[in-house]
Amino acid sequence: MAAGAGRGARRVVVGKAWEIPEGGRKLIVPFRGRAGIGVFNVGGTLYALRNICPHNLGPLCTGHVSGRFVASAPPSRAGATLTMDRDGEILRCPWHNWAFDITDGSCLGDPRLRVKTYPVSIEGDDVVVAYAED
Amino acid sequence: MPITGAAPIAAPGWTAHKETGVRIVDCDVHHSFESPEQLLPYLSKFYQEHLYDQGVHFAGGGYPNTPLRKTRNDIKDPGLKRRDFNFTLEFTQRELLDPWNIDVALLTGSPSDIYGAAGLPDPDYGAALCRAFNDYTIEHWLERDERVVHAILVAPTDPAQAVAEINRLAGRKDTVAVHVPLSTAMPLGNRFYHPIWEACAEHGLPVVSHIGGGGATGNTMTPVGYPTYYMETRMARPAAASAQAASLICEGVFEKFPTLQFAMIEVQQLWAVSVMWHLDFDWKAIRDQTPWLKRLPSEYFRDHIRVGTQPMHEPARPEQLPWMLDMLHADETLIFCSDFPHFDQNDPVTVLPGISDHMRRRIFADNALEMLRMPDA
Repeated sequence: MAAGAGRGARRVVVGKAWEIPEGGRKLIVPFRGRAGIGVFNVGGTLYALRNICPHNLGPLCTGHVSGRFVASAPPSRAGATLTMDRDGEILRCPWHNWAFDITDGSCLGDPRLRVKTYPVSIEGDDVVVAYAED
Repeated sequence: MPITGAAPIAAPGWTAHKETGVRIVDCDVHHSFESPEQLLPYLSKFYQEHLYDQGVHFAGGGYPNTPLRKTRNDIKDPGLKRRDFNFTLEFTQRELLDPWNIDVALLTGSPSDIYGAAGLPDPDYGAALCRAFNDYTIEHWLERDERVVHAILVAPTDPAQAVAEINRLAGRKDTVAVHVPLSTAMPLGNRFYHPIWEACAEHGLPVVSHIGGGGATGNTMTPVGYPTYYMETRMARPAAASAQAASLICEGVFEKFPTLQFAMIEVQQLWAVSVMWHLDFDWKAIRDQTPWLKRLPSEYFRDHIRVGTQPMHEPARPEQLPWMLDMLHADETLIFCSDFPHFDQNDPVTVLPGISDHMRRRIFADNALEMLRMPDA
């Protein structure tokens, strides 16, 4: 059983593993409400996020996936480098462009915010998402 | 990588209940053409040749470096190469008007596609493009949905032609405002522009002024030059709005045209508090410079200037938002603007959490309906 899916937990098969190849995603709508969830495959590991941005309720999981942008110094300094790391792990909401870490749901721009995450696992060919019973 | 299964989320309103019992007047609904060639039927032969030969002469219109190429990713059509989606009335009905229960949508054009016409060095081509865009809007947008009205676009670079365009279209029921983009070569209170304001006042049309246009290229100019990054550009906008509001008040535009109202869109809000407070402070000391002003500058502001809600400030302490609305006299001055379909749009459900019913009615409907003189909408 997936981590966090303890007492009172429900488990739902949301698809087949082949539907979500590395770098891919699947949206499951509805899922515990009209907004649904997104299941992302980052480097072979699946993550499930609620499709509601904690900023202004935008459809977060339909957003652009890329990385985190890093600068060693302002570009005016000699030798400064502008790079991107964690490519494929960062999701940006289509409303207002706020960035979230797919692997733990945290918001890169505001440490107080976090998108709800669900334990997800592969059992046989099935992708299984767990959630706690209310 | 295709987004498996991403396509059909029912509507952008899916996360929250629709507003009921409150009309929603959205004073910033962007619209455009799919390509400038759609303006050809509305241009004279002379300017058709311009468009074929030289294009539209402007790049950016004040939005050269906007994230997500300006528009919401969740409504982009991945099958299109040239644009993010087909910009049509049907698109706007499906993605905005129907799911969000918008009762009145004021079309404001598209900054990068057409606002540059307002600041073209060639004022004749600018006026021709504005006229063509208005005619395109009438045929493709206004005559097919009663909820949709427009602010007719004019180029302030030649006031005589702007006045002629206002006179040409003012009689239409769906002409409810005149759009002069906010970035200009001279401050808007300058007497050069007064013929335009006079025509607006005569026809009972407010001026709606969305940031952009003016320089026709690059970012919004600041008092110290052009900014580099988009975040800086955002901060240029309150400065531009402050300068325009102060100019309109100090030059006596509202003494000269006492029924004229002027809305400033996509310029944020808190600047308006500072303009009202500090103009009053200065007027008490140095009013001799502008003795034609008979009232406190803030009184002119509250009667004549309106401020769009988008992009709304999100204070670090949420309890400060109602304080700001109070300081702003938001029940008189603030008008709801979604900025649809841009990435930084504000939806009517989440934009102003926890405000009173009175404030909600004023901001979402009554302030705008009074300004647009649409008592029956």
